[in-house]
Amino acid sequence: MAGEVITVTSGKGGVGKTTTTANVGSALALLGKKVVVFDGDIGLRNLDIVMGLENRIVYDVVDYVEGRCRLRQALIRDKRAPELYLLPTAQTRDKRAINPDQMIQVCDELRREFDYIIIDSPAGIEQGFHNALAPADRVLVVTNPEVSSVRDADRVIGLVESQQKGPVQLIINRLIAARVKRQEMLSTQDIMDVLSTEIIGIVPEDEAILSSSNRGTPVVFNGKGPAAMAYRDIARRLIGEDVPLSPPQPTSWWQRLFGKTE
Amino acid sequence: MNLFERLFDKHSSARTAKQRLQLVLVHDRTEIPPGMLALIKDDIVAVISRRVNIDRERVVVNITHEDKTSKLLVDIPLLSGKDSQAASRAQSETKGPDQRTNSASH
Repeated sequence: MAGEVITVTSGKGGVGKTTTTANVGSALALLGKKVVVFDGDIGLRNLDIVMGLENRIVYDVVDYVEGRCRLRQALIRDKRAPELYLLPTAQTRDKRAINPDQMIQVCDELRREFDYIIIDSPAGIEQGFHNALAPADRVLVVTNPEVSSVRDADRVIGLVESQQKGPVQLIINRLIAARVKRQEMLSTQDIMDVLSTEIIGIVPEDEAILSSSNRGTPVVFNGKGPAAMAYRDIARRLIGEDVPLSPPQPTSWWQRLFGKTE
Repeated sequence: MNLFERLFDKHSSARTAKQRLQLVLVHDRTEIPPGMLALIKDDIVAVISRRVNIDRERVVVNITHEDKTSKLLVDIPLLSGKDSQAASRAQSETKGPDQRTNSASH
């Protein structure tokens, strides 16, 4: 069976696309799936450093497209999971180095060997976004509970639907339950009302994320915190498991005192 | 602003965010900028008032968005003959029956 291409996008930058790609991809691989995480941000590559694989890059996808290497040579094996690979992009080229047809061709080749191809889209709605969208079977739109990223998510959802890509599912990232409770932050329900898009995951704000990217180890590999659990749940929903979606609850003073796990 | 209002204002910033988003998204989705509605309203008032007497001050033009459909909702209160004579002297307090005109857009 051919693999599924999942594009992670957002419109706005800095909402957590790369972190989501790294963690959802790794979590799928830990569930025993054959996974490649594919950096779609030509010229500003970051998936390699978040995954901790930046020192192992020799060839990238642009080298493959321009005939300087075979696809196998550009793929970097991540030994922390049975079948996890990174397909890096070029750091010193720009968006025009690859076109949407070439993205489709690369992904068609990857589909033959992998169960999931997760593409980390660049921010914005220019060619890099269209490149990342062209081969997609499913689109995950990442948003934060904050007006500008929700507005951009709506714009991106509209563009994805107008190109008949999808299904589109939403990941609400960096939710702070205590602030939602104090009505200082948009709730999951508020975002659902505004965007009317299915939610596939709610990732709480978690200090463990910064230290995980500092180290180059996505939280799903050994984290026990709320973000690690949320990303694992998203992976299980993606493979078709029925995992109920429950908005995070504020932690009590008791949990804050004694519940620290990382 | 009293203490209650200050507390309420602070605590409802999420609600303000939601309301502002809902408004701005209606305009984003329809690609009709907010200022355009005032121009559309002026045009409609000019056209309709050539044929019938309307209460110009109370004309409302709005975009609504339900599911995947956007509508331009135009609410034009009519003035009856007697009202319109009064209205021509000064803005009358008596209102004619409202007539709602829907025209689909998008």
